[in-house]
Amino acid sequence: MTELVLGRERAGAAASPGTGARRALQLILAATWLLDGLLQYQSSMYSTMFGQMIGDGATGNPGVIASPISWNANLVEHHQVLLNTVFATIQLLLGLGIAYRPTARVALTASVAWSLGVWWFGEGFGGVLSGGASPVNGAPGAAILYALLAVLLWPADRPGVTATFVAARVVGAPAARLLWLVLWGSLAYFALTPANRAPQALHDMIVGMTGGEPGWVTGLETHAAAVLDHRGLAASVVLAVALAMIAAGVFLPPPLARGALVLAIVVAAFIWVFGEAFGQILTGGATDPNSAPLLALLALAYWPSASADGLPALAAGQGATDSGEAEGAGGRPEGEPR
Amino acid sequence: MSTPAWILEIFAAVMLLVAEVSAGQLAIGRARTWRDADGADIAVSRLLTGVAMAGILVPGLSILPDAAWEAAFAVTTTWLAWRLWRESRGRAAAIARGHYAPPLVHSAAMLYVFAALAAPSAPGTGGMSGMGGWSSSGLPTLHAPTLALIFVLLLIAFTVHDLDRRAGTDGYFQAGARPLAPAGSPLAAAAAAGREPGTESALRAGPAARLLLSPATAKGCQVATGLTMAFILVIMI
Repeated sequence: MTELVLGRERAGAAASPGTGARRALQLILAATWLLDGLLQYQSSMYSTMFGQMIGDGATGNPGVIASPISWNANLVEHHQVLLNTVFATIQLLLGLGIAYRPTARVALTASVAWSLGVWWFGEGFGGVLSGGASPVNGAPGAAILYALLAVLLWPADRPGVTATFVAARVVGAPAARLLWLVLWGSLAYFALTPANRAPQALHDMIVGMTGGEPGWVTGLETHAAAVLDHRGLAASVVLAVALAMIAAGVFLPPPLARGALVLAIVVAAFIWVFGEAFGQILTGGATDPNSAPLLALLALAYWPSASADGLPALAAGQGATDSGEAEGAGGRPEGEPR
Repeated sequence: MSTPAWILEIFAAVMLLVAEVSAGQLAIGRARTWRDADGADIAVSRLLTGVAMAGILVPGLSILPDAAWEAAFAVTTTWLAWRLWRESRGRAAAIARGHYAPPLVHSAAMLYVFAALAAPSAPGTGGMSGMGGWSSSGLPTLHAPTLALIFVLLLIAFTVHDLDRRAGTDGYFQAGARPLAPAGSPLAAAAAAGREPGTESALRAGPAARLLLSPATAKGCQVATGLTMAFILVIMI
């Protein structure tokens, strides 16, 4: 059946030689991995700071989770040069591998395994189990979003199902929507945890991001912090409502779903600029651009195609005709050797 | 602790290899059909970029002062921008943009690097004369790091785009000849006869020349150059 689907993709490819939407999203994912790899080569990553950063992920986690993190941090501190170079090179190869069609499938598979490992050993599950997770500073951890994107952008279609948005093509629309609901719903929940709704929580979090940033970033952060001064509860409620609307948005008819996805991209942009200070890349101490760009990329993967407009909301993605996104550049499915 | 010197040396070696390949392409192309700088400008730009980047990564390999490199890349950037503008008006505008845009970005990034190095130190930064300061990687830090980040994102975007593109299908990766030959030219005649431009001279020159002039080699050089430049900018932020 898969062969039939791929065969149909090939047949349709001739009429649409442009890069497909899914391949475009894969390339953005590849670019993000490349950026991660390059950032990992920075000098600060060859200092004790990197090992300490990993070790911090153990804080607050249950023992069974924390012990391997501490072991990993200890290992990194003792073999800084070797391990950091290996980490950086792996991420660089993942990016190159996803971007190069003949190796895209292998690289995507490897990226899932690598991301899950980093999510545990490097990010301590993004603070989800420790109570320290906040949607504003990277919850649920960038690494799990890489893994989720690799799965949803896998270059094959689920047999017998054609979809009206990219993320539904490999897992089906119901599963894709469920994943979206869990992700954004959990972010809404995290926004309202006591630690995050405290009057000064958001203010302090943003102020903490200003160290080492260029003047214009510091200015942005300072102004945002001033606006949120002693308004943590109100801001958290507004953020949680927005996140809940986004979580439910993909179940709405396509025009409303698009509105929810635009809101998701806007919220991700706000989080990236004010909460994550552009992933702190400009400080020379970032390992990745953080979660917000990946949330925006995920939103693009859920964008309903034009053909979805004529379908009932919940039926969209089940039996609808394909929107013509199946083709990769040059008339091949993504990830297929050319 | 800083980025290990041997990592910088590996990237420098790759850049020297790119420079050598570009020099080889120029040498072979000189005996071929290059006219009014078709393709040669990109090879010259890549040659200069490779040598300059190797000098940044390993100071012992530097052969010119920063000001001279700055002037050189100001010229190549201007030239490539003019070529891009001129070619983009033709029928194959998309191919021309794909052909000239990456080397233009590479050249502009090098111009930025040398300009940012040469900019005077801000008071109190502790930087050496003529430098913006020193990162712990052992390389000087750059002024205007936001611009460096923008260049990094552009370079990564082109690298990913280049990798995704198949070499040799549409003239996007051309080592020694322009993708669209003017009517009546030897290249156009060769193309009309179903041969790759420059095939005969390349065949006469042997397999090494064919390898040097292959689109795959051009693609590899472009990807390596973009990636190494992004690496330099990231570790100098």
